[in-house]
Amino acid sequence: MQGVAHGAALAISECQYQFRHRRWNCSTMHDTSVFGPLNLIGSRETAFTHAIASAGVAHSIARSCRDGQLSSCSCSRASRPRDLHAEWIWGGCGDNLEYGYKFTQGFVDVREREIRYQRGSREQGRTLMNLHNNEAGRRAVIKMSRVTCKCHGVSGSCSLITCWQQLPTFREIGDYIRDKYDGASEVKVNKRGRLQIRDPRFNLPSANDLIYIDDSPNYCVQNISIGSLGTQGRICNRTSHGMDGCNLMCCGRGYNTQKVNIKERCECKFHWCCYVKCKICTQTVDIHSCK
Amino acid sequence: MPGSVLENLSGKKLAVLVVLFLICQIICFLIGGLIAPKPSSTDTILATKCLDKTNNTAEWFYIRGENKCSTMNINVFSYEKYERIANQIVFSFQMPTPRDNIILDYSRWQQNLIGILQLDISYHPENEMKNRTVLTIDAKLGYRNQGDKDDDWKYYASSVEQRNLDCILEHKKDGYPYNCSFIPLFELGSLHHDFYLLNIRLPVDNEKGMNLELGKVDDMWLVAINQTGGFTKVWMSLKSIFFPFIVGILIWFWKRVHGLQRKPLLLEYMLLFLGTALTFLNLPLELLTLFYELPFMLLLADIRQGIFYAALLSFWLIFAAEHLMVRETQENQFKTYWKHLSGVAIGCIALFIFDLCERGVQLRNPFYSIWVTDIGTKIAMGFLIVGGISVGVYFLVLCWLIWQVFCNMRAKRANLPVMSQARRLHYSGIIYRFNFLMLTTLICAALTLIAFTLGQVSEGQWKWDEHQYLEYTSAFFTGVYGMWNIYIFALIILYAPSHKQWPSQIGILFFIY
Repeated sequence: MQGVAHGAALAISECQYQFRHRRWNCSTMHDTSVFGPLNLIGSRETAFTHAIASAGVAHSIARSCRDGQLSSCSCSRASRPRDLHAEWIWGGCGDNLEYGYKFTQGFVDVREREIRYQRGSREQGRTLMNLHNNEAGRRAVIKMSRVTCKCHGVSGSCSLITCWQQLPTFREIGDYIRDKYDGASEVKVNKRGRLQIRDPRFNLPSANDLIYIDDSPNYCVQNISIGSLGTQGRICNRTSHGMDGCNLMCCGRGYNTQKVNIKERCECKFHWCCYVKCKICTQTVDIHSCK
Repeated sequence: MPGSVLENLSGKKLAVLVVLFLICQIICFLIGGLIAPKPSSTDTILATKCLDKTNNTAEWFYIRGENKCSTMNINVFSYEKYERIANQIVFSFQMPTPRDNIILDYSRWQQNLIGILQLDISYHPENEMKNRTVLTIDAKLGYRNQGDKDDDWKYYASSVEQRNLDCILEHKKDGYPYNCSFIPLFELGSLHHDFYLLNIRLPVDNEKGMNLELGKVDDMWLVAINQTGGFTKVWMSLKSIFFPFIVGILIWFWKRVHGLQRKPLLLEYMLLFLGTALTFLNLPLELLTLFYELPFMLLLADIRQGIFYAALLSFWLIFAAEHLMVRETQENQFKTYWKHLSGVAIGCIALFIFDLCERGVQLRNPFYSIWVTDIGTKIAMGFLIVGGISVGVYFLVLCWLIWQVFCNMRAKRANLPVMSQARRLHYSGIIYRFNFLMLTTLICAALTLIAFTLGQVSEGQWKWDEHQYLEYTSAFFTGVYGMWNIYIFALIILYAPSHKQWPSQIGILFFIY
């Protein structure tokens, strides 16, 4: 369970990192549902949060299997062998990444499968969407992991080669899912209870892609009921033309500018492991925040 | 080599033999594919960072069991003073990791252990790493057996090693990971004990300039590779089955040769040598590791394989040269071939010295690798290049010889109708024997190459398929091993002297009476 909690925390902090320059900044609510009322609508942002949460859990479980503290990690690829010890000597153990994947499949997806909705209904569409995005998140972990190989045959020749999966850092997974967020496809649920793409001119989304049902709400203004905090008071960048630029971030409402003296560490030199030698610099900077 | 079994065998019998061999070959392949698991398995272990409070290098730091070490978080920085000295951080790996709530231990069937380090280093603008950093690793390996106390770790080996670490980063953003090369750390030729413990420090020394260039190491991973017990079992069974067959056929062959009036020919000696080399390779010596600790087994395996290759290569060369059909009587002396065989000898000696430098030294220090220093790399490359060149020269000589044989063969074939019957039979026998060996050798070599390439390709692509019925890599090993055994078995049988008299001789006898 510690792995799951750690994974969820990892997912939230990564989500906030990825969206720090956007109108919606992955703000969390201080209640049990973590992402709050956001989950009520099936928007692009909901798709992202589902994917990153399931990726976080899969990543965290795979990781904690590897440091040997979580001893319940499964060994075999298929069903649990009765005589584990003999099995292990015979063929070794499967990869922990796979265990993380399977565990998340059982743990995260089970919430969506609890209630059965009527075929073709909106709720059923949401369930399908969540399941799809959970899977996309898990797959991101596998997709981003690198396969590394080592030759160790006769005299180190490549007659015998062994490969293993190298777990990616969560930042790489976050970047990947953010890209998928930008390219997410809009779908709708049809009468037969299947998802289909809304605009047939676009390509069909694969299992790695994110999908959403509803359009995103306007995140410019505060509307707690849909999970939007508004952009009032957010810090923006005056010179940028991107989403973090004051023009876009403040939705045309203008911004306040404040001159602040800040003390900062600068000219740092890092010493392994845990010591950073810095100077203190004082700087006067302008801080812009949205009206 | 007149009058071998091959020439006197009827087409029907030969076909039956070939079919039998093919069936054996397919069985060998299927044993590897269906019964054996993959040849090696990996266990990726994340280091636990232990704090060495007393800076005591004699102490063992372990993660599971009583009195386990106190862990620390190295992501907390101090801006004020050297709070924690890098030398007090011990990266600890306890092998193997538990699964399914069971404490696993290594089995002696798992034969050997290779350790590879991987570092997770994140980029920070204030501490940019160079593309190549020299890493100093202080490593200590200990072992424990079942029934020992949790803290009863015994010393196995230790060393302070320098390794080159190549790290690249495409997008230089704060906190992004470097993509670093992996570091081969140790190689154990025998996996004799149940549990192993690896303690690693990255000591920092300002005076010696040790690890000063190192970036922010977030995590350290160890990839432990060992042979799977199942593969060892299948492999040993295969060897134990081939062993008596080859020994038996060798005895039969030698009895036959000795039963003749004449002295044994050079080619017959070569066949005997080849069979003996294969017997030595087949001998399931590895079974001894189940009872004794024999770290030299890897080196011995290399040497056995080397002797076999040398025997096979020499045999091909002499076989081709003996079928040149230039001289009427065959030169029956090994000495005449010293020039041809010098390539094989030089290549084998170069590779043997290289192996001694790498695996021989590893017997004393399992952390040693010849590739880590620049001089070592040059020496190793030197030996490998010499080996490669001599193998190249060997194949050129062999091709030239074979081409000559074919040229002579064409000339002789044109003259066949005008020859006397005895000579005709003599030459057509030579041509048939040579063509038969050429064909089988080419098929075997081609199959080995194809299987090898397929294996490399298929291993590089990770498989997520749960229901994979055929374990390809194992099938490749058992298949190729079986193939060369069958090949040599067939050679010894078919090229043994025949008891049947030549039809021409019978004809002559008939004529006289």
